[in-house]
Order: sequence, then structure tokens, then C-alpha cells
Amino acid sequence: MAMDLTVNGVRHSVDVAPETPLLWVIRDQLRLTGTKFTCGIAQCGACTLHIDDRPVRSCSVPVSAAVGKAVTTIEGLSPDGTHPVQLAWMELDVPQCGYCQSGMIMSVVGLLKRRPNPTDAEIDAEITNACRCSTYHRIRKAIRVAAASISARGGAL
Amino acid sequence: MTITDNFSRRGLLATAAAVTGALVIGFWLPRRTEAQSFNPEGAAWSNETGDDEVNAWVVVAPDDTVTVRIAQTELGQGVWTSNAMMVAEELQCDWSKVRPQYASANRDAKEMAPAWTLNVMGNGATDPNGGGEPQFGTRDRTGLAGIPDSLYRRMRTNAAASVKDGRYYLQLAGAEARDRLLLAAAKLWAVPVEEVSSVNSVITHRGSGRTTTYGKVASLAAETPHPNPQRIRIKPPSEWTLMGTEQKNLDVPSKVTGTAVYGIDVHLPGMKWAAVKSCPVYGGKVKSYDFERIRNEPGVISAIQFPIPDPVLIRGRIFGGGVAVIADSWYQAKTAIDKMPIEWDVPAANATRNTANIRAALIASLDEPGTVRVNVGDCDSVFRSAARIVEATYSVPYLPRARMEPGNATVLVADNRVDIWIGDQSPQETRRSAAQITGIPEENVYLHMCHLGGGYGRNGNGPQAEQAIYVANQNRGTPIHLLWTREEDFINTTFRSIGVAKLRAALDKDGWPIAMDVRTATDAEAPGATAGFDIAARYFAPNYRFSTHSGRFHIPVGTRRGVGAPAQHFYRESFMDELARAAGKDPYLYRRELIARTNLPYRADMIKALDIAAEMSGWGTKLPEGTARAIALEERGAEAGGHATISAQVHTVSISRDGKVRLERVDVAHDEGFGLVNPLSVRKQIEGQVTWFYNDAMYQECNVTEGRIAENNFDTFLLSRINEDPPQINVTFFKTGHWLDGMGHDRGLSIQSNIADAIFQITGKRYRDLPFRNHDLTWT
Repeated sequence: MAMDLTVNGVRHSVDVAPETPLLWVIRDQLRLTGTKFTCGIAQCGACTLHIDDRPVRSCSVPVSAAVGKAVTTIEGLSPDGTHPVQLAWMELDVPQCGYCQSGMIMSVVGLLKRRPNPTDAEIDAEITNACRCSTYHRIRKAIRVAAASISARGGAL
Repeated sequence: MTITDNFSRRGLLATAAAVTGALVIGFWLPRRTEAQSFNPEGAAWSNETGDDEVNAWVVVAPDDTVTVRIAQTELGQGVWTSNAMMVAEELQCDWSKVRPQYASANRDAKEMAPAWTLNVMGNGATDPNGGGEPQFGTRDRTGLAGIPDSLYRRMRTNAAASVKDGRYYLQLAGAEARDRLLLAAAKLWAVPVEEVSSVNSVITHRGSGRTTTYGKVASLAAETPHPNPQRIRIKPPSEWTLMGTEQKNLDVPSKVTGTAVYGIDVHLPGMKWAAVKSCPVYGGKVKSYDFERIRNEPGVISAIQFPIPDPVLIRGRIFGGGVAVIADSWYQAKTAIDKMPIEWDVPAANATRNTANIRAALIASLDEPGTVRVNVGDCDSVFRSAARIVEATYSVPYLPRARMEPGNATVLVADNRVDIWIGDQSPQETRRSAAQITGIPEENVYLHMCHLGGGYGRNGNGPQAEQAIYVANQNRGTPIHLLWTREEDFINTTFRSIGVAKLRAALDKDGWPIAMDVRTATDAEAPGATAGFDIAARYFAPNYRFSTHSGRFHIPVGTRRGVGAPAQHFYRESFMDELARAAGKDPYLYRRELIARTNLPYRADMIKALDIAAEMSGWGTKLPEGTARAIALEERGAEAGGHATISAQVHTVSISRDGKVRLERVDVAHDEGFGLVNPLSVRKQIEGQVTWFYNDAMYQECNVTEGRIAENNFDTFLLSRINEDPPQINVTFFKTGHWLDGMGHDRGLSIQSNIADAIFQITGKRYRDLPFRNHDLTWT
């Protein structure tokens, strides 16, 4: 069935079964391939994107749940890769294989929107994405760098 | 499914046309179809253009942008950057204008390597001025296991050997191109070449002060042969200016914006998707399937049965046969195949296998003669008369690599041409597979290389390419993107073999070993079975015997990060802790003394590693109750006197009374040999492997039930998250007198024995079977 989706501020009309996971509409229909498929069962978080600023695991959200809401993917985070989290990721040279990093970054942006200066315990509780290369050590440092930069520019994302 | 949004197919065509326009001048290119020319933004595969190519590795554009061809696959290890650094060091170009690009595996099928790449200069692994491995020049030049003498030589990405095997000819490639750029400038100015030099892509004539740039003379350089390429020398570490500095990885910007192109991201005009089910019992195949039941499902086009992939094409491993469903979208194909009845034809013997009977067979094999690898002195008589014998039996489970990107490949088979878009760790092997399966010659096989969403020991090989080529060959003219589910990725992978070991030592009255007998067992096909124990004991015993034993099981085994070393280090270093504790001695000083008693070529480096790690960690200082430190040695090649990498790590571990393990701190002393190409990448590899092997120690296992792998997704095969990452990872590099043996594996594997010993120190319980989550870690 035809549905209207707003992704990264652009309206799209897609004709798919309403139970199709949002992930596959984003990747196959809209060709926004920064959002990744890994486990398909909401375990790993590689498919994380935002619906109305909340991180969700798009492999397990039906496309129908996004109708009428604002979907943001890694491609919509900034026009030129200069979001404070992206800059912090580059400063710390975080990614290795990089496959999980779109989802990781979207989870971290979601956390920083709610908690601009999170504690270690909040990071531990909220960032539950898996990284097989285990870049966690640099991720924590990069979250600190991003938080400092957000604080320097007024304290909110 | 239809698409009516503002995503523009015209945009895709425009991109393709722009690329094609630049391509038609290539003399060796056949006319390409739209899909064959597809080249989205972010793609890193060879564009096969030849504008101002100085040599096969170096292309200089008029604006001084330098494209460096990379013959290895970027899978997170940093090869995209380190290979480019090795070329750029010698080229003396502006590093900020270096753009890596995958080398063409197709060209590699048609052109031979320049003669100057064929021999390694210098005196082997301990010569700082040389190219490294002395035997390199005699390695097999025709077989895929060796170093072929085709254009890009070794295109495999394995054994953490990209720097070790590639350094000398990548440096040579940069030097050859630089010499020719200088010659071109000298020719232009009609001055002797000795009077011109270059820095950062700017060429200067010493006498006149005239300058030009690489970009301005590149065309002339492309036509100027090197007068004496066999005389090119490469810079030793003392002259490096770029190599040895911490450089951020060139692929990182694309990986924080979602623009990096992995195999899974490839969308071609006219492309269809395939979802797969393979027989979950290896060696099994499809008996029947009922396509009629799903024929009318949305988007479904067809189903194709495929045979067990030819083992010859995948290093002898036997997977399962299966069936692929082709549909307009992958989700449609996957939904449909889940509904399709499939009956399997399973070899009865394979279906009776389970973890318990496999492990029992291996343990039984330890009492058979096995293959004796080392036998020094007379172990038997010492054990007969020894007053004190320590014996321990250890085990490790089957482990997959479990990369994040599920296996996939996109293949278009045309009348006399095959195009493959894939993240692949051995494009030369995949090129051969395509030729074998389709009957189209290798010279007409084109691989469009993508980044790989994790490798960890050749995850980029395996039957995804072979399955996709088979399916696409049955659908000639249509690009087919075959993608596994996570569960299929677990089925279609090779595993690190299950392993067991029995170690025995006879101790003298002071607790020093006077005899040591090491018996290890794995699947007979498992690579790396002799790691860590072969040639000579790393810890001295005057009588030393090492034998390998095996059984033969149907689970396909292969190389996983570290190959044989992680299991063997777990056995060896755990046993050293047990011996030290039996002797009442400090495990650090006990190791130190036993290494000092050997005559191993790098024993001083091993002692240095232990000393530095112990010092860094505050070894011997008091820790709170419930916290312990443990130390272990990590080495590859310490016995041989050639390339080697040596490190030691101390792990500080706490365990709560209810049994929760916390890695508090890691102190790493790490060999940097004559020099590291990109120390930042090495730090990242160490940090990542700490957690990789923490997962091996604590959580990960694959069990076999009725011949199938039981754990096949991340709900049962567990990965730790950021909350378990240690707060401190401290790394100290120390120089040694040899070239290194790679960083992408074998770092951090000491965490296995170190957690075992910390558990022992805190709880009083000694566990010898991984992973530790299966054991009671509580204490009072």
C-alpha cells in the first residue's frame, strides 16, 4: 500500500506492505544505505536511526510505524559530515571496519540529545550497540569530545 | 513494490554516464553496459582509467591528487591507509592529496608484475635496510597460496601480512614513480636529474630554483621509463618521514557519514535480490523444495537450487547445498524463502555429531601417538621418576568470526564477461571461481571491490561469491545481489576448530620444570595447529615433547583471527600460571626465568616485554579484595629468528561476590620492531583485540547439535558492549631488531589465561574450559 514517509526532511511516497521493516524501505526503496542490516532481531543496533529524535532499531520497526513522523538517518545528520558527533568520531579515528558506526553514531546522538553531558553509567546503560571490531574504547572518548563541543556551543543538540 | 519518490534513477544514470565517458578511451575495455559501468559516490573500486598513470600503483592528476592503488581489502585493519603511506613515503607527495582506490583484479589477470617487484633486497628480517623476508622471493609465484607474479602480486588480505609482505614493493612502487617524475622534470628543464628533488609533490631544480609539481609532469613521467629499476633502493626506517607517524585512517570520513560502500550497499540498474537457505548440516543438500507454495508471493521471480559449492574453489571446505529465491527486493525474497518448504538430504553420520562427542573424540586422540613435532631429551623417563607432576587438560570451543556485514555478493554474468561487486579478501581466488563456474576466462572477470564489514581471519572469503556466481550464471544478463541472513552467515562460515590440550610437567624440588609434555588436538584440517609450541619451548624445560593430535569432523574449519595462536596461548600461558603457583613462585618472575634459560633468538625481547608490562601495571602492589592481576606473553615467530611480533599484557580484573567479571585495566608492552608504519592503526588493533579476546574468554562458543551449529545470531552468540570495555588500556611500544609479523591478530589473546588466573586468585577455582560464563564465578 502507498504510504508517505518523511526521511531527512524529504517526503517520499512508497508502495510497500505495511509490515515491511523500516530498514528495508530506507535501504532498498530510498537507497539510503548508510543504515546497515546485521542481525535482523534488534540485537546489535547497526540499523539504528531516529524516529522523532528517538533512536530505534529499524530492522524491527514496521514502516507503518514511521508514517507521519520524522525519520532521520546517518545521511540526514548533517549536510557535510560536520555534526559534533561525526567530528568527534573523526578526531578519535573511531571506526575500524565501520559497518556498525552509522547505527552507533545515531544511538550516541540520541543519547546526547537527552543527556548532553552523560555520565559513564548513562553511556553504559544507553549505548547498547554492538561493534565487532570493539572500537568501544575510542567511542567513549569520542562521546566525551562531542559532549564538550556541544557544551561549548550552548549545551544542546 | 514501486518507487515514486524523488530518488532519481536519472541521477544514477548520469553518474554512470559520466564514468563511462571517461572510460571509453581505455584500450583494453570492452563496451560496458549500464550496470557494468555503475559507480556511485563513495565507491572505492578501480575505475580502470589510465589518466597519467605513472605505474600500476600511482596515478597523478594535474591538480597533484595522487591515486594509490591498494591491492588489499580494507576491513578495519587500516590497510587502506598503511599501504598508501608506504607508497607515499617514497613518492614524497602531498599526503593530504592522496586518494586510495582498489587495484583492479581484472588487470592483475592480464598483466605481469614489473620485474623490479620480484626480488626482496637486503638480508632478511633482521636487516633494517632491507625489504624483510629473505624467502619471499622463492615463495610460490603461480599458486594462489603463494605470492603470484601477476601485476599486483599478493591480492589476498590475510595473516596480518599486508605490511610484512607488501612493504618492500609498495615502497619500491613509490620510489619508481618518484624517480620518473624527477626524470620528467629534468628532461623538461634539460638539466641533470641529480639536480632536481621533490618534497610534498613540488619538484625543485637546485641550481635555478625553478619549481614545478608532480601534476604538471605526470604525463611526461608516464612516458618516461625508469632507466635502471633494479637499482632502486627503499628508505630504511631512519629516513622515514611519513611512515612511523600516527595518521588518521583515510576511510574514516566516509564511515561516519554512511557513504562508504560495502558489498551490501551495491544497487545496480535492473538488479534483483536473492535470499538463500543452505543445508544447516554441512555436507547436506536439497532433497526437494516447493516453489509453487511461494510463486505468488509479492515480488517473487524464481527459485534456484545450488549444489554444495565446489570445495576446490574454497580451500577444500565442504559447506551445504541450498536454494536461492530471487525477488525484486531482498526482504521479499527472504520473506518468501522462509515460507517455502525445503527438505534436506543430510549425510546420516554428520547428523549424529554434537559438541560432546566431538570433544570426547579429541580428548581420546590425546592418548594416541599423534604427530610428534618436537622431542628433546627423554620425557618418559623423567616423568617415570619425577617426584612432582602437574597435569592439566584445557578446551576451547568452535568459534566463528561473526562479522557484522552478512555475506553477500552482486554478480552480473553477460555473454563473455563477469562483473562482481563484493567485499572480498581474495579477489584472485574469486576471479578463478567466476571463471570455473561460468566458463568465461579470468581475463574477462571484473571485480569491483568494496569495503568489508569486518574480516577477522578471511571472513571475506567463503561461499558467498561462489553461491552468487552460480545463481547469476543461471540468470545471465540480470545483476543478482545475493545476501545472507545473519543465520545464514553463521551457517556459511568456517570456524576456528574446537580444541583440547593436555599439558604435563615434572618439576624439580625448587619448582622448575625438568620435563614438559604438550599434546594438543583439533580438527585434522585446522590451520595453525602447531602455533606457540613448535620448534622449541618458549619456557625452558630440558626435556620437551610436543605432539599434535586430531579427529576429523564435518564442521568446516578455517582461519579465524590469530588462527591457532589464541587457543594454544590459552593452554600454554594458563599452564605457566598453574606451574608457578604449584612452585610457589611469582608468575611474572617464573616466566622471566624460564624464558631466560632458553636459547630462543628473541628471548631478550620477550623478557623486555614482560618487564615493561609488569612495571606499567604496578605489578606486586596491593589491590583491593576481589581484584587481581595476571600477566602473559604473546608471541608470533619468537622461535624462528625471522619476522616476529612479541608483546606482553597484564590484565587487572575484579570479580564481584556474585560472580560478575570486570576488566579494570590493561597494560600492554608491544614490540615495534624496526618501526610501525602507522602506530595509530596499531593502537586501534590492540584496543580492539583486547575486547575481541575478552569475548572469546568470557562469552563466545558455537555448539553442535545434531550436526548443526546451535548458536546463529547475536541473541545466543554474545558480544560484549561498551559497558564491559576496560576503563584503561595503556600501550608502550619498544624497539627490537627485527621486522614485524603483523598486528591484526595475536594481540590481547593473553586475556584468556589472565582472566583464568584472576578467577583463581579471587575465587580459588581454576577453570580450564572456555568460555568462563559457563562456570560458577561466585565467591565468599
